[in-house]
Amino acid sequence: MDFFHAHQAQHYLVLGALLFALGAAGVVLRRNAIIVLMSIELMLNAVNLTFLAFARFPLVPNSPMGSFLSGHAAVFFVIATAAAEAAVGLAIIIAVFRSRTSVNVDEFDTLKL
Amino acid sequence: MEVSWLHLVPLLPLIGAAICGLVGKWLPKGWLYAVALASVLLPFLVGLRAFVGLGEGVQLFHQLAFNWFSAGSLRVDMAFTFDRLSGALTLVVTGVGFLIHVYSVGYMDEDPGYWRYFAYLNLFIAAMLTLVLGDNLVAMFVGWEGVGLCSYLLIGFWFTDEEKASAGRKAFVVNRIGDFGFLIGIFVLFTQMGTVNIAQINSAAIPMGVAQLAAFCLFIGATGKSAQIPLYIWLPDAMAGPTPVSALIHAATMVTAGVYMVARLSHLYVSAPTVMVVVAVVGTITAIWSALIATSQNDIKKVLAYSTVSQLGFMFIGVGVGAFFAGTLHLITHAFFKACLFLGAGAVIHGLHGEQDLQRMGGLRKYMPSTRTTFLIATIAITGIFPLSGFFSKDEILAQALHTRAFSLLTLTPGGSMRLTWLGPLIYAVGSFAAFLTSFYMWRCYFLAFSGEYRGPEGVHPHESPPVMTVPLWILAGLAVLGLLLGLPPSWVHGTALEHWTWEHFTEGVFARPRGGAPGEFSPAVGFGIALLVGWLGWAGSYTLYFKRGLSGDELLSARLGPVRRALANKLYVDELYDRVIVRPLWALARGLWRVVDATLIDGLFVNGIPSLIAWVSAMARRFQNGDVQRYAAVTALGVAALLYVFLVRS
Repeated sequence: MDFFHAHQAQHYLVLGALLFALGAAGVVLRRNAIIVLMSIELMLNAVNLTFLAFARFPLVPNSPMGSFLSGHAAVFFVIATAAAEAAVGLAIIIAVFRSRTSVNVDEFDTLKL
Repeated sequence: MEVSWLHLVPLLPLIGAAICGLVGKWLPKGWLYAVALASVLLPFLVGLRAFVGLGEGVQLFHQLAFNWFSAGSLRVDMAFTFDRLSGALTLVVTGVGFLIHVYSVGYMDEDPGYWRYFAYLNLFIAAMLTLVLGDNLVAMFVGWEGVGLCSYLLIGFWFTDEEKASAGRKAFVVNRIGDFGFLIGIFVLFTQMGTVNIAQINSAAIPMGVAQLAAFCLFIGATGKSAQIPLYIWLPDAMAGPTPVSALIHAATMVTAGVYMVARLSHLYVSAPTVMVVVAVVGTITAIWSALIATSQNDIKKVLAYSTVSQLGFMFIGVGVGAFFAGTLHLITHAFFKACLFLGAGAVIHGLHGEQDLQRMGGLRKYMPSTRTTFLIATIAITGIFPLSGFFSKDEILAQALHTRAFSLLTLTPGGSMRLTWLGPLIYAVGSFAAFLTSFYMWRCYFLAFSGEYRGPEGVHPHESPPVMTVPLWILAGLAVLGLLLGLPPSWVHGTALEHWTWEHFTEGVFARPRGGAPGEFSPAVGFGIALLVGWLGWAGSYTLYFKRGLSGDELLSARLGPVRRALANKLYVDELYDRVIVRPLWALARGLWRVVDATLIDGLFVNGIPSLIAWVSAMARRFQNGDVQRYAAVTALGVAALLYVFLVRS
């Protein structure tokens, strides 16, 4: 069996985990708010990939709890939410940039008391 | 008989108090007086009508006004009982109370707080009537506390004077000690007998131990309210209040509540023979103790105050030896003549513009004929000179003490019994000596105030009081004389119309019989002879010392009995003793508790300690919340990773 032709979940899951870790690292480490936003998109898509992997290779075959379509449905929700989130996030970044002339998240520390 | 109008008796004065207290300030004076007087007179008329009804074959009137509260098996009603005892007391309270209200119109007219005064006075009447009429101990306790409150308010009526305000506080605190005992007594009766209803308690078979404990606790309450040793110290100080208040509350009505309570619960006390001994002995000691002090006081109100304490002691002798009718008879006659004496003293003080010192009076009979005559009548009555009311009531008590059988089968322990047959005669002897002293100090007071030459301050022209004050004096003096009708021995008036109205005959069946049975038949003549002799001896001693000499009689006594008299003039140092033994240790304890427990432990450790701990923890925790969202996200991610490790890898 060839690694690339073996239709197994773990390939997709490993990829999803790597993408997720990459996104999380971007969120935590990068200073540019737009990059942070993009990293979040990356994490969301990692999750999407995981959903799809489990939809294609269910853990319990022929589960009575629902068909593989439930994973797809979740992905559509995530995509829609991510689109909305990106719109709102970019709007906030623009608003913040207008008042502070900066997109550096280190300077956005007014959440503390 | 169940009736529907009895609640009016305590309710009307309560309404009067509400009107006077809430809107009295803005009412015209005349209206206020009308409200205040009517709200005492109307209950008197209701009581009079009911009292006449009692003669027509009805034993008692009873009304269940409302069920106050119920909890478990406890059921407390606001219910009133109007029988021969509480009925007579109602008439005394409202009747004497009304006269004192009338008198107060003259006495307090110029005081700016007159509306407040009448509100308190009406409230007092309402509370006292609740106490008297209440058919259960809890209702009685409401009145008991109510009169204590009014007493406090009225003693400290002129509260801008620190001394008077503290006298009010003293009365309240000392009474509180007694009330504590009263409450415990109620608790004991409820837990052991399952009822607080007086009629039920009086008809139940009470186990000896329960009866002893409950009766003793209730008697502690009585020593507070009725100013007996050891809690009598508040009453002399209570003279700081306006004089009519002293007459109404601290002589005629409230202070007799303890005697009334013992007589009301006669069955309970009869079931507790040891406590009966305590009651009688405490009464005897109080009677002689305060009579001694009264001989050496120079403040006219203080003399009367100690006299009141002493007379209350006599009443407790009466109820203590099982002669409940004698004790309550003295209660009633004492209400008449002591109210008259106090109001007379008030008239003197009024006429002398506030002078209360007997040393600065004298010769007032020329200036105040009405006051002098009524004071004289009341003095004759209290000194027990034939044939005024005090003679009969006081001698009845002493004769009953001499012949009592209440101590002949005294049970001290549940196992054995012992006979204290010598106690009755001893009480008689001491009581007779106290009666002699009573006569002595009352005549001293009379002679110093009204005989001899005027020694008062220059520039003060003593004057007779207006009729609004003298008319009540005359009525009370008349009652002090007529009270003898109640006190006549039944054997004297046997077969006449008066027999029905002698108190002994009238209250037959109201009180329980003492343990050894009532005293056998005895001839009252010998006791009367001795009592008369004692009364005249007191007069004679006082006459020789004070009638001609005036104040130098005191000097003569002081020369002979220097240290004794000085001790008596200083009230036998009881206040100082209490101060050393009780007040100061309490003070020190309170101070210690304040410093150590309150300031250090509670304030320091709990009140301030816990917040500062929280503040410190918060200061630590604040470091984590620096507003950097990325750090939050990093920490969250680490947390999730840790959780995943725990749940996925470790398990």
